[in-house]
Amino acid sequence: MRAFLTILTDSIRLLRARALFWISLGISVLVALLYLSIGFDDQGMSLLFGAFQIDSAFLSKGSQGAELLYLGIFRNFIVAWWLTWIAIVIALVSCAPIFPEFMNEGSAGVALSKPVSRVKLFAYKYIGALLFIAVQAILFAVIVFFAIRWRVGTWNPTVFWSVPVVLLVFSYLFSVLVLLGIKTRSVMASVMITLLVWFTCFVAQLGESVTHAAAERGVGIMGEALTEEDQRKWQAGHRWARLPYVILPKTGETTALLDRWIVLGDGENLGRSTFDAIQEGGRVEGLDEHAKADLERHSTGWIIGSSLVFEALVLGLACWMFSRRDF
Amino acid sequence: MEAPAVEIEYLRKRYGSHEALAGVCLNVPRGSVFGLLGPNGAGKSTMIKSLLTIIRPTECRGRMLGKPIGDRATLGKVGYLPEHARFPEYLTGREVIAHSAGLAGVPVRTTRERTVRLLERVGMIEWGDRKLGTYSKGMRQRIGLAQALVNEPEIVFLDEPTDGVDPGGRIEIRKMIEGLREEGRTVFVNSHLLAEVEQVADHVAILARGRVIQSGTVDQLTRTSRRYELRTVGPVPPALRAGLEHEGLEVAGDRVAMVANDAAPVQPVIDLLRGAGVAIREIREVKDSLEEIFLKAMEGKEAA
Repeated sequence: MRAFLTILTDSIRLLRARALFWISLGISVLVALLYLSIGFDDQGMSLLFGAFQIDSAFLSKGSQGAELLYLGIFRNFIVAWWLTWIAIVIALVSCAPIFPEFMNEGSAGVALSKPVSRVKLFAYKYIGALLFIAVQAILFAVIVFFAIRWRVGTWNPTVFWSVPVVLLVFSYLFSVLVLLGIKTRSVMASVMITLLVWFTCFVAQLGESVTHAAAERGVGIMGEALTEEDQRKWQAGHRWARLPYVILPKTGETTALLDRWIVLGDGENLGRSTFDAIQEGGRVEGLDEHAKADLERHSTGWIIGSSLVFEALVLGLACWMFSRRDF
Repeated sequence: MEAPAVEIEYLRKRYGSHEALAGVCLNVPRGSVFGLLGPNGAGKSTMIKSLLTIIRPTECRGRMLGKPIGDRATLGKVGYLPEHARFPEYLTGREVIAHSAGLAGVPVRTTRERTVRLLERVGMIEWGDRKLGTYSKGMRQRIGLAQALVNEPEIVFLDEPTDGVDPGGRIEIRKMIEGLREEGRTVFVNSHLLAEVEQVADHVAILARGRVIQSGTVDQLTRTSRRYELRTVGPVPPALRAGLEHEGLEVAGDRVAMVANDAAPVQPVIDLLRGAGVAIREIREVKDSLEEIFLKAMEGKEAA
């Protein structure tokens, strides 16, 4: 425990010493405060704690429109952009130096000459980074949680699902970052290649989804109906497209789990289809059955489990390389 | 007799086709200051790193503090100052020492007490709360030394400890090493500064191209090169010179030199010179310095 706390403290000191850490924390707090600054009153809504006023009866305090807008911002901006992309990129860049800097000549020697095994050193460093990101994600979720209560009037504890989800997605990618960091000892190279792997994951999921739609439902890329012969071709294509999808971590699908888990007061989830349906006049009527089926095509266990298998394999390889390396 | 602190039966390290350590065999007596000498690339740092598991040796048989080399628990009784130690610049001196203590499993309260004591010992008590980024190279080396001692090790490995340290600092480090010996600790010093090692080491080994080419106490090594030199008033007469050279003595002008372990073999030469009416103005015992022994050993290695 003493060694774990020592390594954790060292990782935090390293991150704290980086300007990027403070920039990312500043952006995080700014985003949360911007969200908090949106308010509703009898006339309509206000921005930046009342600096700008938009009069609208539809958005007046306590109206369904206000709740919808406020949660819609959470769903379509904070979840879809901030938590899915930007926060993860910032976290990756922040944590990228942890392993390469530890492995510098003259730095690793002292730690490796201590009675802590290399596997433990590796694990402690990895877990330390995850804990650090968890703290940031919890801080963010707490601000959003109170913001919703203050502005909409409802307690929505399901927003805390964003913490494990962000942590999971980060951990998939951080495992790749660690492997590359150990292999190359270069912060820049490991970040760039990790982003490339992430993009590949995105393409693999998109490819699988598109080929599945064509193969199973006979819907082409442009939404056109396919002939049976074309559909059979797509079925063969889908088998190939599924291979990279199965192997790689499901970053997009893991984040999309928030659509299932973060729910409104009446239990309806925060999926895009729900919002589309509400905007068209009814909560459930008009819900795209295909979109919903597509969203729930893969079970939570499959999405997270298969991604964690990938993460475990990558981490195992990284740990093996770290344990055998001469410093 | 007490078992050696380090007992290397066989240590080999290969990097592809390059043999960094070609089967080293070495003993480091407990409570001694051991100097490992050698030119750059001889394998000195590789040897220390192999003993401390920083490098994975190709083959290693031996014991350290009574346990097989590589035993993790034993490393808790070991201190290490790496060559070119690069402690993070965002840490203070106190934090560097605490970090090392934490990894060695030293309790927090004990760490606090020892940190103050060690900062005083290395002359850095006033600088302990400043970031390493503000330190000179010599100050960093002192902090490096302090962190190596925070777990009160039985054996301390110092890889080029005076690297970048000014002459005053070198004297202090030398005194510190002597202090560690007085406390009963074993000190293993890697250095290419032979004169410094000679002043402080009890035992030395010379490493070249991954092999130990000479080892022993400083006295043993220098004894083999011990000789006596006599100086006469005016040059040695040619008749005497021929006779002395015939006996294996070295004569040049007014200087007569002979290899001898003690002064006894010198007496007949003195008698001979005085008998011939040659006045002697100086007699002195001469020993090779460690540097000269090292150079001779290296020349011998090259020739071999």
